[in-house]
Amino acid sequence: MLQHKTYTDETFDKGRKDMDSTVVTAVSSHIPSETNELYLHEQAQRHLHSLLTDLGERGLYDAAAQCNRCGYCETSCPTYMLTGREPISARGRNQLVRLLVEGRAKDPSIAAESLSTCLLCGACSSACYAKVPTPDIVLEGRRALDGYGDNFFARAAVKTLLDAPRLFAFWLKLGYLVKKTGLPRLAAKLGIYDFLGMPGLAEAEGAVGHVPLRFAAEILRKDPALHPQGRTSVNWAYFAACGPNYLFTDVALATVRLLRRYSGEGIFIENQCCGLLAHNYGRLEDAREFARRNILRYEELKAVFGDFPVIADCSSCAAFMKSYEQLFTADADWRPRAAAFAAAVKDILEFVPADKLPHAAQAELEKAGKVTYHDSCRACHGQGIRQEPRTALRRLAGKRYTELPESDWCCGGAGAFAFTQPELSSRVLDRKLRNIASVQADTVVVGATSCLIQINHGLKAAFPSARAVHYSSLLDELTAPEAGGGHS
Amino acid sequence: MFKTDRISALKPELEAIVGEGNVRTEEAEILAYSYDAGMAKARPEVVIAFTAPEQVAPVVKILHKAGIPFLPRLAGTNLSGGTIPLKGGAILNLSRLKKIRQIDTAARLALVEPGVVNLELQKALEPYGYFYAPDPASQKVSTIGGNIGENAGGPLCLKYGVTSDNVEKLEVVTPDGEVKTWSYRDPGPDLMSLLVGSEGTLGIVTHAWLKILPIPRYIKTASASFNSMDDAMKAVTRVIGDGMVPRALEAMDSVSLDAALNGKESPFPAGTEAVLIIELDGSDAAKVTRELDDVKKICSSSGCAFFRVAAEESERDLLWQARKGAYPAMARLAPDVLVEDGVVPRPRLPEALRQTREILSKYKLTAGLLFHAGDGNLHPNMVFDRRDIQEVKRVKKAGYEILKSCIALGGTISGEHGIGVEKRVAMNWLYGRAELDFFRRIKEAFDPAGLANPDKILPVASDARGEEPPAGLAERASLSPEARNVVDELRLRARSGAPTAVTGLGTRLKAERIMEGAKPLDLRALRGRAAIDRENLTARVEAGVPLGEFRAQLKEAGLNVELPDLKGSVGGLIASKVFPGLRDVLLGLEVVTADGELLELGGRTVKNVAGYDAVKLFCGSMGAYGVIIAATFALSAGARRQHAAFEEPAAWDAFEPDTLHLRLKRALDPGNLLNPWIYRGLAQ
Repeated sequence: MLQHKTYTDETFDKGRKDMDSTVVTAVSSHIPSETNELYLHEQAQRHLHSLLTDLGERGLYDAAAQCNRCGYCETSCPTYMLTGREPISARGRNQLVRLLVEGRAKDPSIAAESLSTCLLCGACSSACYAKVPTPDIVLEGRRALDGYGDNFFARAAVKTLLDAPRLFAFWLKLGYLVKKTGLPRLAAKLGIYDFLGMPGLAEAEGAVGHVPLRFAAEILRKDPALHPQGRTSVNWAYFAACGPNYLFTDVALATVRLLRRYSGEGIFIENQCCGLLAHNYGRLEDAREFARRNILRYEELKAVFGDFPVIADCSSCAAFMKSYEQLFTADADWRPRAAAFAAAVKDILEFVPADKLPHAAQAELEKAGKVTYHDSCRACHGQGIRQEPRTALRRLAGKRYTELPESDWCCGGAGAFAFTQPELSSRVLDRKLRNIASVQADTVVVGATSCLIQINHGLKAAFPSARAVHYSSLLDELTAPEAGGGHS
Repeated sequence: MFKTDRISALKPELEAIVGEGNVRTEEAEILAYSYDAGMAKARPEVVIAFTAPEQVAPVVKILHKAGIPFLPRLAGTNLSGGTIPLKGGAILNLSRLKKIRQIDTAARLALVEPGVVNLELQKALEPYGYFYAPDPASQKVSTIGGNIGENAGGPLCLKYGVTSDNVEKLEVVTPDGEVKTWSYRDPGPDLMSLLVGSEGTLGIVTHAWLKILPIPRYIKTASASFNSMDDAMKAVTRVIGDGMVPRALEAMDSVSLDAALNGKESPFPAGTEAVLIIELDGSDAAKVTRELDDVKKICSSSGCAFFRVAAEESERDLLWQARKGAYPAMARLAPDVLVEDGVVPRPRLPEALRQTREILSKYKLTAGLLFHAGDGNLHPNMVFDRRDIQEVKRVKKAGYEILKSCIALGGTISGEHGIGVEKRVAMNWLYGRAELDFFRRIKEAFDPAGLANPDKILPVASDARGEEPPAGLAERASLSPEARNVVDELRLRARSGAPTAVTGLGTRLKAERIMEGAKPLDLRALRGRAAIDRENLTARVEAGVPLGEFRAQLKEAGLNVELPDLKGSVGGLIASKVFPGLRDVLLGLEVVTADGELLELGGRTVKNVAGYDAVKLFCGSMGAYGVIIAATFALSAGARRQHAAFEEPAAWDAFEPDTLHLRLKRALDPGNLLNPWIYRGLAQ
């Protein structure tokens, strides 16, 4: 605490004013990059040890300090564009965390609004020349602010998912059953979704037509063709992300069909949740545990089959798994293993070989109508995937494909954001809907579950003739052999 | 500490105007508005956000009445600390005022609110085939209001002028909350242009009518790489000296190029030390191609290693991305960056550059050099870490030395970034006591209570202590004996309080208009030969020289000034503002005030945002604010452009003074000694 006193603004300004004097002789030019007043040392385990930035490995302070406040990110930040308020902007959030780390701002609660309104979309980092990882910096701030997800609901949900996934599935089905019996309000009231840590689901299931009572993992597990037993090699392993697994079973099945159609035989990896849920709730140690289990599972299979890609069909999960290494920067044993796993992860958006795709059948194309592509944040900003899905869609849909203006403007779904910040979220969504309407699109292709829920939710109210579909679903529909496609 | 209670008492009143939730005093809001893209920091007491331009005046009235300082703020990307609330008070957040209200291609005007992002305006204009010329590198985020506040430039201003040349009319809220609409074409002294670049110290722009131009039919972009920066600079001087007016002429050194390319494969050969980006435009394809050939020849004979014309739009985009991304890309090299913004007369660029590099190496600093070569505007981007106090000191010292070297080379301390707080001290080196005093009087006329963005632009007492002015820097113009006489005569008359009628060749001011009792001061004798700087394309000419004669002298040198054929003297032309388009070519003025003080305003550079644009204030001043004794014009080297026949307005001095005109008159000539009939009703 004493150490950084030397570096307060006053001293700094004095340094500038009195340049000719020699007042500051005692100060060394050493930069106290270890300064951290955001959290106590004992809590270090519950934070990232360091951030893997575009400029190399950085402590939180250095990562935040890399922002030189040029402000070139401001117009890419959806929440700033809507509010015009600096604390609700990328630069503002970054500066507030920096001030907290430096101890110039004492109380993290002052940053509550600023940090909780962040969509974590990462558009700022894409716009930033230094690629300052603002979403990660915001999450670090939130961890300290929100008490590390120690509240009852978050803990119960993550722990159930972690230690008793089958119990989690049971609870979820119970919730769905209540909905099916025509008492959806009851389900929401019972707090089952809250309990499951998926408050967004309460909203979400209202936005989806039906909810599955058999989850994707259960179906895939029963498919002998997807078992590793008796195989000598695999071309891919399917990773069932929570969204496709628990809510959009059709997406998961479509992904698997697509993979089989264009990439040969593969397996279902029998994964756990990727850990993003725990991660974003502030429960970093649980996130690490999810990651370790998935890595272990991958390593078991790798020992048998050698290298193979792990395919996920929710961009949020894929992006998070690609960043597994960052969870283990202080762990010499797990770090390289996490890096190896991360390198194997592929988003379905980048994996379908466009050159193998046929021209889709007329009937299917007509059904799809005018097709456009929404860049899910964690695909474009999180993984840099922009061209691959477009190439595939153009090839399939030809002239029916049209570019969406501001396609990388967040839809406002952002995990539970739609639930925690309903007002801001709906304004973010409105702009997305306006853009969709401006090109008169019938089918909006997305790569993440959250976008699927959010955009469909909006379209249903504002533009009911249009629909959002997952990339896998549309590709599967357009290339299904029985639909007359499938021949190049 | 600040008295927070002075805000809470006003809160209900303010909220009644801007709505609940738009008057914020929470800690996060205060902290987030205590910085901008510069180095300075200070906490405001309240942040007031607006949802309609009409809300600004009533809010300013309340703040004015309560004696609370305020300043307008938009994207907060300025580089000189202009939006730092040094005395606390209120930040007026205008960023939600972002409507483009009208695009009128017939009148070539766009009417916008201050929060419109520059690039958004460009995008809105593009479908109509139009563009707005100022294109600062920050255009993706910076706003029209901010661009006006700082008088922003950009690459295209070489050909199309800076912001002040592209604003037609402004709606302004004065520091006491009055709403005014001023155009530079209005009769009388040009108040509109004075507002441009005033950094919120004279008023707040709430609507702007901007000049828009048709996108040229042909645009060719080329890049030329050199193995030495000196060679590149030679090429620049020759291109401009040849009479070409490129759309843009930009330079980057290898450090900034590497940062901007960010690991992408360099399109330039190994060993490239400097790259020029040259862009030509026009409606005649053959002419553009011919000029491009000429540029290529010049570059080749100046030691250019590689010259390439961008074959397609994507290649052109890449070049501009590299140029416009170079400043933000500095963030890759170190956490902080300080950008200097000095300007030198173009032919002095190689010297300025050499000195800049010496200074940088003396202080062991890394910097990317970027500059608008065509304008002589240099941006050394020094990278550092503000947590390293020793390094911060070196950076500031180096910055000061670079500015001093620019002044010594006949240039100025800021071309487009503004003075704000960070370059305030350098104002002491650039200007003498008389000019600074003159600026202070302008500020006081507009803002007697000193509430509008206080302590910006003009040096405060502590600045003088901070750094000694370098000896023998501000070289004063050498006056002719006749001019000396005018100064002496005015000084004498000021002492005796005798009213003066400033007369030129008698072209417009007829003897019968002259008020009885005013003693004529004949400027006919100020007729020395124009001092032509062939390389810099500028000329200083005394006020009594007839425009025709000035033009003839220029013609002998193969140069010309882009003005229509007008009768009368150069001084009369400026004082009467019969041709408002004068603003495009007038760079500097030497003026004698009513007290007989000689002022040197503006300079020999195309860009200059140091201090208020008082040169424009004298356009249309009709001799009542001061006596113009000499002017500096920007020249062109090629053939003279075609001017439509210009009809001079008959009633050149028929104008109804604005209250601000009167207040300025009182501040600048309290005894109403100069052309007293112009402000006949002036209350004493």
